[in-house]
Amino acid sequence: MSSDGHEPTTMTFELLKTAVKDGGARLGRLAFPGRRTVDTPNFFGLTSRGVIPHVTPDNVEKHLHTNGTYMALEDFIERPQQNMTRPPPIYETPSPINKPLNSFTAMPSSIITVLGSRRLPAVSSPMGNTNQTVSVFTSTGFQAVTTKQYINAIQTLNPDIAIPLADLTHKTSTPTSKRALRMAERADDWIKEWFTEMYGPKSNKEPSKIATFAPVLPISYSIQWEYIERLSEEHASNPRVLSGLAVYDADLIPDVSTSYQNLDSLPRLALTTPSTPHQVLRQLSLGMDIFLLPFLSTASDAGIALSFTFPPPASESSGLLPLGIDMSSPEHSISLEPLTESCTCYACTTHHRAFVQHLLGAREMLGWTLLQIHNHAVLASFFASIREALADGTFEDKARQFALRYEPEIPQGLGERPRARGYHFKSEGPGEQKKNKPGWSKFEGEEGAKNIEEKVADLRIDDEQSGASGLGSGVDSVAETPLVPDENADAKDLEEKGFAEKVVEEEKK
Amino acid sequence: MSVVQRMTSNKASSAALTFELVAKCSTTRARASILTLPHGPVNLPIFMPVATQASLKGITPEQLESTGCRLCLNNTYHLGLKPGQEVLDAVGGAHKLQGWKHNLLTDSGGFQMVSLLKLAKVTEEGVRFLSPHDGSPMLLTPEHSMSLQNSIGSDIMMQLDDVLVTTHPDKARMREAMERSVRWLDRCIKAHKNPDRQNLFCIIQGGLDLEMRRECCREMVARDTPGIAIGGLSGGEAKDDFCKVVATCTELLPELKPRYVMGIGYPEDLVVSVALGADMFDCVWPTRTARFGNAITKHGVLNMKKEQYAKDFGPIEDGCGCPCCRPVDQEGAIGVTRAFVHHNSAKETVAAHLLTIHNVWYQLHLMGGARDAIIADKFPAFVKEFFNNLYPDRKSYPSWTVNALKTVGIDLFDS
Repeated sequence: MSSDGHEPTTMTFELLKTAVKDGGARLGRLAFPGRRTVDTPNFFGLTSRGVIPHVTPDNVEKHLHTNGTYMALEDFIERPQQNMTRPPPIYETPSPINKPLNSFTAMPSSIITVLGSRRLPAVSSPMGNTNQTVSVFTSTGFQAVTTKQYINAIQTLNPDIAIPLADLTHKTSTPTSKRALRMAERADDWIKEWFTEMYGPKSNKEPSKIATFAPVLPISYSIQWEYIERLSEEHASNPRVLSGLAVYDADLIPDVSTSYQNLDSLPRLALTTPSTPHQVLRQLSLGMDIFLLPFLSTASDAGIALSFTFPPPASESSGLLPLGIDMSSPEHSISLEPLTESCTCYACTTHHRAFVQHLLGAREMLGWTLLQIHNHAVLASFFASIREALADGTFEDKARQFALRYEPEIPQGLGERPRARGYHFKSEGPGEQKKNKPGWSKFEGEEGAKNIEEKVADLRIDDEQSGASGLGSGVDSVAETPLVPDENADAKDLEEKGFAEKVVEEEKK
Repeated sequence: MSVVQRMTSNKASSAALTFELVAKCSTTRARASILTLPHGPVNLPIFMPVATQASLKGITPEQLESTGCRLCLNNTYHLGLKPGQEVLDAVGGAHKLQGWKHNLLTDSGGFQMVSLLKLAKVTEEGVRFLSPHDGSPMLLTPEHSMSLQNSIGSDIMMQLDDVLVTTHPDKARMREAMERSVRWLDRCIKAHKNPDRQNLFCIIQGGLDLEMRRECCREMVARDTPGIAIGGLSGGEAKDDFCKVVATCTELLPELKPRYVMGIGYPEDLVVSVALGADMFDCVWPTRTARFGNAITKHGVLNMKKEQYAKDFGPIEDGCGCPCCRPVDQEGAIGVTRAFVHHNSAKETVAAHLLTIHNVWYQLHLMGGARDAIIADKFPAFVKEFFNNLYPDRKSYPSWTVNALKTVGIDLFDS
């Protein structure tokens, strides 16, 4: 990999406004040569195996309104059973633009790439990390990646932004203080090695031009302050070694900011996986700049078209507005309206609710594609309006309106999900329900099985709209639309839909 | 090379369709033509991809358009169930439902009933079958099929026919099916509400009995539908028999009407059928096989899931001009490598979408290439090159292709 002959790819981050009265929220601009400029606050797309789920790279470029994507190394380094010793093919990607990660994934070169070790959210590993390794989860199982291997991978793949390894548990529970201490120690050891290998004089390579976003761990500040201090000092002595922070807990920002003001000039990338726009606004108020939002794909998979705007629409009614609309609901079946009013995305300008409703009901993959395009557009305009409000000083006020006007959670959605299995879906423990109902059940239905199903249905949050589940075929696969008739087709359905008529008097013999 | 035959009268119109014969191969029966339908002209010969449920397997109508497709299929049975006639009427038809500005063709729904529901019983009234779900008896008539296809608003609709597998042993039943299909065509014509903006095609039946096929051709042609389909094939008959049926029918069919061989999709089948004088084809195979990780190329079908492609950083097919394969510096190129498709085959749907785009483009381009060759009167050379690419060893040419092409003046072994 040659680094000579190329213009220096150095990142710039300009803070345009850090209004005191708006709390920690700030307005900025992140730029890489040859990439789309990112006005912040903003969000980056989240990939699975190098793709934004359901969206082909051409549509990412044309329709997805995202300036950057996050990719996980664990998505590219599986060891296939037939060939356990094969080095991951991605490392050998020829790339005329010297961006093997973009070239391998066919990601348009205008889009900024962020490379981290784990998917977001990541599956917790039963093996745990060691002083030199982090356990990652590939399609062929768990694997230990050494700090050295990771640095080599980063240098080979040359993303625009790299997130150094962090010793994380990926569990919802808070680590014990002993564990937290070890996390901080390892972060400190690993970042030392990282700086040396990537930018240090000892390295026989040229200093890397990759922007490092150092992790800020999801543990209390008092435990990791020494590590943060190192970041601050290293940055002070050589600004090039540290270009940003990858923050796992937004509540740490005030502490870091108070203690090490020189780190304030760095962009902050949220690895906090907020689950609602409310949480986004809160974290943004604490000073977060760029978000990665798993709830986008989750909403699309659930058949939800996000419908919130910033600020909320003026309205007489006092009821709470939903954050999204369940497009699988039959109420949309003849609606020629766009998914949400005045949305200018590809899905809304070329298609309508009736089509998306049909696609979800028929489990056609295009339904999820269109929802992804729409939901990304909703977020893009959400952030654009936030930036406007930050610029004209109305952010705080509008954020308050938003909190009061919208429901706290994104609706669950009653539509059938795309194939809800795959290695990256991990069981959450015993008793977990299937995401889609099974395609086949016992003939005449076993009484017991039926009761359980009914009970499960009762537990569903949106049960009062249960009519919305529609005519979903229960086949747990999106791969096939068999030309054979649907096994769930009812005679009544056939007749109602005008396909054929029911024969009333079937003469005997 | 002999001079391309130009027709003196090379154009025929009906209420909702114009067929213009542009060129005929001077050796084979291959023809190049322009079929102008309510949603614009399409060049024949043509392959039509199948968007079963008003969506071509994960790709957007815009992406389908980018493959050059201007005519695709929807399945009446599936649209009848979802979203249903009421919704189709309310929305204003299938074009509007799926945001497709170009042409649509729909089948009659009878194929799903008959070939796949073993217990279907065909009576003069229609197809009687048990509902696949609750077992209650149902009846599908030509009138039902027309009514649904009118609601769909397809540019080409197909008559309900009495489909039998061509290998059906009972000759009397075969005759009954053929004759009934003719009677049902009459009922379809009568029930068809929009002949001014939708074209109803008849379907030639008669199994593998060439005499019966001839008889059916005469009866159907007399009813003067705007286009003619050859049905019942691709159901497991020997390829030699398939070719004989196509050749027998095309011989009798009027020159200035489009000829559609239903359910045909393997590249060899397409090329041979074009040589035998057919113009239109459809099949789910190219898009279905894409979802199994298979790429159609001029050198055969490649399964991208194989380990050998893990580090193959070439395009899916060298020299292919589809959005996935064309060089990255070209407009609209995606820059997909085999390694990337391998990486995500069966893991992320995007890999299937990319192969779908490639495969559809391949099929359309194959027919486009045949058309160009016919117009340049170089079709025999095109056929030879096609087989040469597909089978590097001449000895492995399938004998049915050799035989069929021989009947129309192409000797594959003659170089």
